[in-house]
Amino acid sequence: MSRTSGETSVEKLCQLYRTMQIIRQTEEELARCHQRGLIHGACHTYVGQEAIASGVCAHLQPTDRVFSTHRGHGHALAKGMPPRELMAELFGRATGCSQGRGGSMHLFSPEIGMMGTSGIVGPCILQACGGGYAAKLMRTGAVAVAFFGDGAVNNGAFHEGLNMAAIWSLPVLFVCENNQFATEVPFSYASANPSVAARGAAFEIPSYELDGNDVLEIHRVAGEAITRARAGAGPTLLECKTYRTRAHAEGMPDFGYRTKEDVAAWKERCPIIRLRETVLEPLSGSAPESNLAWRFDAIDGEVAEMVKEAREFAETSPTPEPATATTHVYAQVRPMPAEPSAAGERMITYGQATLEALAGEMKRDERIFVMGEGIGKRGGNFLTTKGLYELYGPERLCDTPICERGFVGLACGAAMSGARPVIDFMFTDFVLDGFAEIVNQIAKMQYMSSGRLKMPVVLRGCIGIGHSAATHHSGSYYGMFAQAPGLKVVVPSSAYDAKGLLLRALRGDDPVLFLEHREILQVKDPVPAEDYEIEFGRARVVRQGDSVTVVAVARMVHQTLAVCDELARDDISVELIDPRTITPLDIDTILGSVKKTGRLLIVDEPPAHCGFSAEIAARVVDEGFNDLDAPIRRVNGAFCPTPYSPELEAAVVPQPADIAAAIRALIQE
Amino acid sequence: MAKEIRVPRLGWSMEEGVLVRWLKQPGDEVAEGEPLFELEGEKAVQEIGSLDAGTLYLPPAAPAVGSTVLVGALLGYLLTPGEAPPRGSTRVDSPAQNVKPTAPIENPPKPTPLATSGPAARRLARKLRAGASDAAGTAPTESAAPNGNGNSSRLRDTSGAGATVASPRARRVASELGVNWRALSGTGAGGRVREADVRAAASEPRVAASTSGDNLLTPRRKAIAQRLRHSREMTVPVTLTTTADVTNLVGLRQQFKSGATSVVPAYTDVVASLTARVLRRHPQLAVRWDDGHNALRAVPDCDFHIGIAVDTTAGLLVPVVRDVLRKSLVAIAEESRALAERARAGRLTAAEMQSAVLTVSNLGGYGIDAFTPVINYPEISILGLGAVRREPVVGQHDQIVIRERMVLSLTFDHAAVDGAPAAAFLADVAAALANPAAHLLGD
Repeated sequence: MSRTSGETSVEKLCQLYRTMQIIRQTEEELARCHQRGLIHGACHTYVGQEAIASGVCAHLQPTDRVFSTHRGHGHALAKGMPPRELMAELFGRATGCSQGRGGSMHLFSPEIGMMGTSGIVGPCILQACGGGYAAKLMRTGAVAVAFFGDGAVNNGAFHEGLNMAAIWSLPVLFVCENNQFATEVPFSYASANPSVAARGAAFEIPSYELDGNDVLEIHRVAGEAITRARAGAGPTLLECKTYRTRAHAEGMPDFGYRTKEDVAAWKERCPIIRLRETVLEPLSGSAPESNLAWRFDAIDGEVAEMVKEAREFAETSPTPEPATATTHVYAQVRPMPAEPSAAGERMITYGQATLEALAGEMKRDERIFVMGEGIGKRGGNFLTTKGLYELYGPERLCDTPICERGFVGLACGAAMSGARPVIDFMFTDFVLDGFAEIVNQIAKMQYMSSGRLKMPVVLRGCIGIGHSAATHHSGSYYGMFAQAPGLKVVVPSSAYDAKGLLLRALRGDDPVLFLEHREILQVKDPVPAEDYEIEFGRARVVRQGDSVTVVAVARMVHQTLAVCDELARDDISVELIDPRTITPLDIDTILGSVKKTGRLLIVDEPPAHCGFSAEIAARVVDEGFNDLDAPIRRVNGAFCPTPYSPELEAAVVPQPADIAAAIRALIQE
Repeated sequence: MAKEIRVPRLGWSMEEGVLVRWLKQPGDEVAEGEPLFELEGEKAVQEIGSLDAGTLYLPPAAPAVGSTVLVGALLGYLLTPGEAPPRGSTRVDSPAQNVKPTAPIENPPKPTPLATSGPAARRLARKLRAGASDAAGTAPTESAAPNGNGNSSRLRDTSGAGATVASPRARRVASELGVNWRALSGTGAGGRVREADVRAAASEPRVAASTSGDNLLTPRRKAIAQRLRHSREMTVPVTLTTTADVTNLVGLRQQFKSGATSVVPAYTDVVASLTARVLRRHPQLAVRWDDGHNALRAVPDCDFHIGIAVDTTAGLLVPVVRDVLRKSLVAIAEESRALAERARAGRLTAAEMQSAVLTVSNLGGYGIDAFTPVINYPEISILGLGAVRREPVVGQHDQIVIRERMVLSLTFDHAAVDGAPAAAFLADVAAALANPAAHLLGD
């Protein structure tokens, strides 16, 4: 290895050595702290793998972004996180890098490009693609690095991510740390193809199989890969073969799946000792040798002091204030500009209204890009991006492979990296493949990072039953998404609302599910040509009345409106309320209406069970019990997948006659 | 509509009692106020008057005579003519194990609500109805499966169980407007009282007996009612009647009248005097309840004060003539007249109405013969005087003679004294009235 050391300057050698020592000593101190009960949750150490993070990160700037795994302490430290911030986080202190909201598996320091460790295996690969996409879109020259274990390479995220990075030539470095076990499952068992690098080659990505304990080799190859990425030549995959010499997590038994002898043998291959020996041996007896040895020894002492100070800092740091436990679920609410006083006379469709909003905002904000299947030249299955490709090109109107999880995960990383993705998934049913990326990653990112990351992602798509779309093109799912803290869920029912709400979503910093009922895309109403926003969490009183309050969203607003006149002839005056946003929910307007009418019917297309209608009913019973003059009633779709035959389909969706009958019955209660 | 008969609470702390006996038989017509059954409370067996009128119906599961019954327990019903017994009337809700779900029936009649409508009662009502609901059969049979399409979450109909229910809003408005929603019949599903029902009730002109005209329950009336009810609660009244030959008494009064005395003693005065004298020989009757009903105290003859019932426009009053044995008839007459005047003027003091050993009440002026006067508790007896009538009587030698006669009604507290001593006392009083001169001369 003298060749390698010879090409590396003394300063670089010392930097690599120092980084590895910081990782090693910090981890060993954390292991001691874990044994003493000072660390509250899981603690996965990086001992034995230090060469990889140190070798790769030595090339990175603070603007470059690292997306990491559950075994991520080393990545954070190598990316520049002071050990005190890491230790304080594991101690659950307010001074920790995630201010106590993350812990070992959610280490965030976006200010230095540390974009988070993760408790889920796989998403970091997609997020790194997003980081690369954002860098490419915004021409920052930054690169993104994904660190992941061998356990991730048999996961779809790996394949979807590598493919996307390859076809779009993203500036991404994929670093697989093959330590031979996915927790305790051997890679040799779990993998049909024993080579990770071979998988990269399958996507025509330059791929290298490296000795993961040789920091100089890793440093060299990573340097080439990063240079290539910055030059726009696309991604690289490194398979770094290594071994963790401590248990999967501190405190876990370690010898059921591997032997003490194996571990002892790998400890002999310690990357830190190896670097010392590699660089000192050729210089044996010379002045430079003793000089360099002295430097290494000095680093050892300096790092020991740093780690000691870090622990003291962590132990003496304040714990977070419990009253702040629910802050940072969402970004701060932007001030609300005035809404137009009148809608005017221009009639356009719901679909035209959202296109107008998107087009206007894309012109105003170049960080916005749209991803989806067929939203490029084709202009979208529902013409959601019609004409925009010609204006903004393939990078901002990006057609995707059919890999919902992949591009939703990419959107997450892109938003984390400063872009403003709009994901157009055509049918909401499709995005269920990316459900975890939405609920586990996009929704939680602001919170996990204690508000230091913003997540301006708009996830849009069609919902709803109609025209025999059958069960894979008819779901609504908003109740399901509304259960995820961190998401906002918008379900407009009119063209006017759709434009104002989409603009609000595009300009905000929170992830928004923008769900458009397919059966009302052609409804027309007066929409002002100018831009305007509609506040989230403010219901629209669609029709005033005093006999009964009906709450409905999306198409059910129209189904209910269809019977209001008929009911009015019988002196039943319906007050129809469209909350417009499921999260946040304007319960006050509903309560105010029930206070007036004493009666509440909720009309909702999805099934009743544990859904939106159940939530409204529960809230009104909680807060408006004494205003109720009758039981709360619901009209819901059947608890049933959506059938194809028109006759069957009609039977599972609330029809106007059902709604009218329910209202009449409620009046009699 | 069937009226329920329930176990009343006889004292503040009474929780249960013993159903001693029915005073009416099933099928009997019962008038309002008529004694219906006897209930043994903590302190006494009490005759319970009927609150309503109707035909007595006892369901099969009604508590048996002699059994211990909880306050509020359902004993039976009073039905209107031709009315069928309420369905589900086998439910007698005191012991919980007697509560059985009734079979679902068509057109369940509306029995009088079970008085309570708390959440627990409604829950019970729902439980009882569970078998009858979901008749449409569309509900999924898998327990966790949610409802189907269309109308969901039908509230279980509680009407069959007879619970009175009001919507939360109706209850709130009722409390705001001071309306007793339990008294309303609701127009909502299953008779649920709705806001509109409450508002309608609140906006109605004040109708019905209780609200039209003046409130006749004056404080005086209230006090009288309380006193009489108290007597009824504390005593076990039994009334004995006998007929006294008062020919000589009538003659004596004629002599007083023809005399020059300023005041002519009334029959009541003479009877008071005579009775006090007879009482000396009947110490078992010369007692009063004392010490919060925990003691019976003998009244020494120096304290033989006699109460005289006086009818006033404000109600019945009982001023007391003091120390009757020491006073002449004229003195008694003068005192009683003065007391009566003060009573009618409303100027009696409390002391002037206390401490009698016995009270005399005279309804003879109204042509009444026998009646059941109410004991002026804590006294233990009261003597009622009937009208003086000239009647044919079989004489000593089997000839018919004309005599002046009067019925005496003695109500005594059986709890304080037995029937025989009371009867002996009454017989002696009758004898004294038959021969007043002898007794008046006696000492």
